[in-house]
Amino acid sequence: MESSSRMKSYIGIWVGLICIAGIEVFLTYRNFSVHQLLAILLILAFIEAGIALLYFMHLKYEKPSLFWSLVPAVLFVLLMMNQIWPDAYRLARLKLPIQ
Amino acid sequence: MSESEMALGASHGGHEAFLEPSPYGIQSKKLTMWLFIISDAVTFGAVLFVYAYLRTGTPNWNTPFQFSPSIVNGMIMTLVLLTSSLTMLGAVEAAKAGRKAASLKWLGATVLLGAAFAVLHLREWFHMFDEGWGLFKNPTGGPVVFGSAFFSITGLHLMHVISGVIALIVIAIGYNTDWLDANHVETTGLYWHFVDLVWMFVFPLLYLMNAAR
Repeated sequence: MESSSRMKSYIGIWVGLICIAGIEVFLTYRNFSVHQLLAILLILAFIEAGIALLYFMHLKYEKPSLFWSLVPAVLFVLLMMNQIWPDAYRLARLKLPIQ
Repeated sequence: MSESEMALGASHGGHEAFLEPSPYGIQSKKLTMWLFIISDAVTFGAVLFVYAYLRTGTPNWNTPFQFSPSIVNGMIMTLVLLTSSLTMLGAVEAAKAGRKAASLKWLGATVLLGAAFAVLHLREWFHMFDEGWGLFKNPTGGPVVFGSAFFSITGLHLMHVISGVIALIVIAIGYNTDWLDANHVETTGLYWHFVDLVWMFVFPLLYLMNAAR
């Protein structure tokens, strides 16, 4: 692909990312509970991050071995961090005033 | 070992292992940047999980950000940082095509946008300091962990932005004087896009989740 046509596609992706950020702001002021809003914003943030990773950081155009060496390892570590949730919900139910 | 491999080894004094191509098909500096990025991604992941733990587990959590000026400021910061990623792509494309002058212009625009982001961020911070917020202060009498989480995470991100701006200036000077090449511009671009990527999580989690509704 030529440099100028690549820049055109980057501009399209840039517009798309701005639109997703706009949707995030719009949804913030809808009547969602905190947990629903957190889930929605996280899904949209992961979509944005995936687009940036694949197109802006060119991971889509690298050898597949690079993708498979990097991404699953990071996702595994991030998934393992999800152990916090039961304790966070326990704290929320206790309604302890945290300073 | 094939004849051609033996010939290659003989012509390089038996050090053919050094000529083995990268399994990832990229330069070692780019692979190093990727390794740095995944370690940094885990660091930001950890601090954001700590924030999520506190946010979820604290019943009297503050949501102090009014649409104007805080959320609007955050939206402008998002636009500025996303645009800086676009200008960085322009710099990388121009550098790869050998158009040095154009690449330097794009790099200059990226530096200006990065500096603008830092100024907007600091303005937001000072506005909050004036209202009585701090790392261990909450003017509403609520939990001080809000200030701790907000200033720690946004501070860590701001430090990355400022480091990135400095790195871009060094790369631009090096590229202009032929001390560095297009590959250095591309590798620094990876870092800059990562800073942008982190903001895609910081803005919704730290700003939008704390918007006064």
